[in-house]
Amino acid sequence: MAVMKWIFTYIKKYRFRLLFAFTLTLGSTLLSNFRPYVLGKIIDEVFDQQKAELLIWLCALLVGSVLLKDVFRVTDHYILEGTSQRVVYSIRTDLYNRMCSLDFDFFDHNRTGDIMTRMSSDIESIRHFVAWVSNGVFENAALFVSAVVILCTINWHLTLAMLLITPFIAFFAVSLGKSVGPAFRDVRNSLSRLNTVVQENISGNRVVKAFAREDFEMGKFREANERYKEASLKSSRIWQKFIPYLDSLASSLNVVVLVLGGYLVITNNMTIGEFVTFNTMSWALNSPMRNVGWLINDTQNTMACASKVSEFMNERPHIYTKEGSLCKEHIEGKVEFRSVSFSYGDKAVLSDISFVAPVGKTVAILGATGSGKSSLVNLICRFYDATEGSVLIDNVDIRDYNLRRLRQNISIAMQDIFLFSDTIEGNIAYGAPDADMDSVRRAAVAADADEFIKQMPQGYDTIIGERGVGLSGGQKQRIALARALLHTPSILILDDTTSSVDIETEHYIQQTLRHFSKDRTTFIIAHRISAVKDADLILVLDAGRIVQRGTHSELLSEDGLYREVFENQYGSFDRKEGERVGTK
Amino acid sequence: MARNKFDVDEALEGRFSFSQIKRLSKYVLPYRKIMLITLSLMLLTSMLNMLSPYITRAAIDECIPNKELLRLVVLGGLLLAIYVLNAIIVKFRIRAMSIAGNGIIASLREDLFAHLQLLPFSYYDSRPHGKILVRVINYVNALSNLLSTGLINLITDSFTVLVILVFMFTLSIELTLLCLCGVAVFGVILFFFKDKQRRVWQLYSAKQSNLNAYIHESICGIKVTQSFAREKENQKIFAAQCENVRKSFMAAKIIDICNWPMVETISTISTAAVFLAGAALMAQKSMSVGTIVAFAGYVSMFWTPVLNLCNFYNSLMTAAAYVERIFETLDTPITVFDREDAVIMPPLNGSVDFKNVTFAYEEGENVLENVSFHVDCGKTVALVGPTGAGKTTIINLLSRFYNILEGQILIDDIDISAVTLHSLRSQMGVMLQDTFIFSGTVMENIRYGRPDASDDECIAAAKAVCAHDFISTLPDSYMTEVNERGTRLSVGQRQLISFARALLANPKILILDEATASIDTCTERALQEGLARLLVGRTSFIIAHRLSTIKNADRIMYVSDRKILEDGSHEELMSPKGHYFKLYTAQYELSQ
Repeated sequence: MAVMKWIFTYIKKYRFRLLFAFTLTLGSTLLSNFRPYVLGKIIDEVFDQQKAELLIWLCALLVGSVLLKDVFRVTDHYILEGTSQRVVYSIRTDLYNRMCSLDFDFFDHNRTGDIMTRMSSDIESIRHFVAWVSNGVFENAALFVSAVVILCTINWHLTLAMLLITPFIAFFAVSLGKSVGPAFRDVRNSLSRLNTVVQENISGNRVVKAFAREDFEMGKFREANERYKEASLKSSRIWQKFIPYLDSLASSLNVVVLVLGGYLVITNNMTIGEFVTFNTMSWALNSPMRNVGWLINDTQNTMACASKVSEFMNERPHIYTKEGSLCKEHIEGKVEFRSVSFSYGDKAVLSDISFVAPVGKTVAILGATGSGKSSLVNLICRFYDATEGSVLIDNVDIRDYNLRRLRQNISIAMQDIFLFSDTIEGNIAYGAPDADMDSVRRAAVAADADEFIKQMPQGYDTIIGERGVGLSGGQKQRIALARALLHTPSILILDDTTSSVDIETEHYIQQTLRHFSKDRTTFIIAHRISAVKDADLILVLDAGRIVQRGTHSELLSEDGLYREVFENQYGSFDRKEGERVGTK
Repeated sequence: MARNKFDVDEALEGRFSFSQIKRLSKYVLPYRKIMLITLSLMLLTSMLNMLSPYITRAAIDECIPNKELLRLVVLGGLLLAIYVLNAIIVKFRIRAMSIAGNGIIASLREDLFAHLQLLPFSYYDSRPHGKILVRVINYVNALSNLLSTGLINLITDSFTVLVILVFMFTLSIELTLLCLCGVAVFGVILFFFKDKQRRVWQLYSAKQSNLNAYIHESICGIKVTQSFAREKENQKIFAAQCENVRKSFMAAKIIDICNWPMVETISTISTAAVFLAGAALMAQKSMSVGTIVAFAGYVSMFWTPVLNLCNFYNSLMTAAAYVERIFETLDTPITVFDREDAVIMPPLNGSVDFKNVTFAYEEGENVLENVSFHVDCGKTVALVGPTGAGKTTIINLLSRFYNILEGQILIDDIDISAVTLHSLRSQMGVMLQDTFIFSGTVMENIRYGRPDASDDECIAAAKAVCAHDFISTLPDSYMTEVNERGTRLSVGQRQLISFARALLANPKILILDEATASIDTCTERALQEGLARLLVGRTSFIIAHRLSTIKNADRIMYVSDRKILEDGSHEELMSPKGHYFKLYTAQYELSQ
């Protein structure tokens, strides 16, 4: 029921509009019964009783009534479709906005395919409900009530006898609703699963091909496809189980009228005229009863979808802007970690991290795979919140900042590069959509991307594939770097941004970065000594702790991980040969 | 490559033809038996339903005036029996339609998915993935009703129309023709609207596709969006996409909405015309009252199925927009496929030859020109050179992800275009630049390389690539559920998992494309020590930027300018002081 309430929050705005449409539906239903009446009149009066002069008028009445009905119908359908589209529009945009507000933790736990199902198929069923099911409920209810009232005025005994069937219908309807509900939820879940399987197959198509695992993928798909089919069939089977009862019961009203009505006529408790009226009116009573089945069925389907959607809407980010937060336009860029610890669930990722990065200085972070480097910089952007301790920017806890403002002042090139299927220009200007071409080009030059972009067939207007497929790793990194450099924030974070470029390019980028990061606090995560050695402060991470800190020369002079890394990279380098080479 | 992006409608080539609908019959045919039974049962229902007015009339005309209570009860019982039987047939119809409808879309979807498995990289690279997804899921689902219930109704309604027409003709040819004039009028109108209707629904489906693409990208790129605090901007774009969907839906729907009333109006006018003409004929004494009354009865029966057919036509036009897209995908040519005479690649030894290979992704823009080289079994080859020079292309060609324009690629002296793709690719271990982790456990992800590998073998592969340590620290170790793209894992960890995956395949040819770019140097070193052992007896191609990795290779190829400019061992390449020399010394100088 909470779900119903949730849908109604979206419909409420349009209630008068919908009510108007419902009335029109009722009107056109009644008018459609007018047509056989006029046709009967034409036969009786004009042809049987030879009143030829009436024909033209009756024909006009016939056409007129149908025209009126059609006007009703067009208006009413237009309103219903239009309203349902508007409702869907607001649910969908709300859903999207909610999605944007959810934090990384949510996306770490939810599959793309599932979220997509919420935003496409599940919403579609809500549209059907708003346009047609709600209308059907109203129309049938109105028909039922008016039929009961009219029939009661004619003969309440017989009406009451007919209504005795209602509890049985209600019983079956309620049982149908109860048993079909879970079945529909199963349909939604299996559709979600199917969506996930197909989505991952499409996104991972390269891996599938590389390992020639098409057969395996086919198997995975078949299972999901079959499960979805089975779930749909199962929900249909439940509805099939109930339909004969509901249908027979509703139709048996005619039998009640015939036998009981006939008895009443025979015993002189009812006139034959009243009996005929009852007989012709019984459709108004039994058609709503007959429709109860599919209305319940469709409503349950909508409930299953809507509960999925509203569940998503009820997701709350753990990271959000606090009330009365600091809405500073400009951040200077001093970053401080005060005994920060961070864990994912039970797993400690960072423990007791403390350091200060003064304004405009460069901090480099070095460490083994999975030592917590990316987690550390993610905390600066507040993609996650520290479990203990605090991160301060300009001496203010970052949790006290307005989240949007905070992130606007930070520019990050992430390790896991995602490019959008847009032009290169659009990708570079992603963080600053109003940027002009000159600044886009400047950023590209700084990231050493200008040259290869210019060589592409459409230059900056070249559309790149989703995730940047078709570009080499180094090209992707350079575009992502340009994207981060375009915007001129106070804090710049480069998470392993040059791992896939060759050394010369890396060298070039480092030089331009030096210029770029002059007034900015810069964080660099890298594995190569060459990329970190010029930093003002180098932090060496191991299993989530800072094990060494200092400048390149300081760290080289002490025993430890840093020197080990250095020797790893240069130790195998034949020094003698290097010197010889260097002198020539 | 011409690429599509989320806000650009995909163009549809070719004109709509009903032959596409015919093509769908392939999916419907397996259900012909169940559909035929349903049809006959429905015929039975309609006959039964015709009985009930007689029963009612008998009751009113005879039982009640004669006060025959017993007979009244009997008639009531008979009526009830008809209703119950009817209800059972309805149940059967729903069952049959649900079986057919769900079965049809399941097999259509399967064909679509199977075809997608055969499509080349370029298909996936040239459009947003959300646009492919929407076809497999949403478009196919939209056809369920049309192909089951819709089809049955089409047949029964057409049948009814024909039967009634026969009766009408026997009664009065003139009046029937008059009635058919009405049908002709709306036929002309429908025909006139056909292209328009197709266009508007086509537009709607394109907008749906755009929306889906944007949703997909937004979810996949959410981290970037949040890091640039661009949510507001995206919300605006998304709202605009939703608005486009809404508008295009309404533009298409309005035609549908008007269609039915239009037909109804025409039908009423033609009915009125029948009466007027009937009256005129009667005045001439060329027609009896009885005929006109009977004819009028048929006329009203005639229009109901015609209206239903009109509804069917509407849903057909809607579905056509989806059907066209689905068939467009099914018709996308597969460019890399097994030759008819393709043989199974025998177990590899691992020698590789490129003979005068020329390749271009796009015509006229050669990426490789006349490249030739030979690699002996068991050798390690490092490919170096500027980014975008064609290193990845060379290894992609080796797995035959693309067809070459000229030349030959031979493995063990067998042309790779002469063997089946499956036998070729399943014998190579490839670690791609872009690591992809499937949702599932870490173990499942490693096992992706070889489905029949035991847990121990998977763990051994993980140990060999130094991934065991970090996997052991995960909450459920190898059974830890990871997400699509491995969100919880660092890029380096993902690389290690895909490395283990590649190694598990126990390939004779191992391809590592920047396999270790994001792995720290200490792990890399440990990795290489283990790797040296693992590489014995395997031919391997390595793309890397770290010279420490490159230097250990048996052979180094410097790729640039569409060619292999230098080829030889580290020592051989150092002395001529060419490109490799420059590259190598750069690292040294930069480290000083």
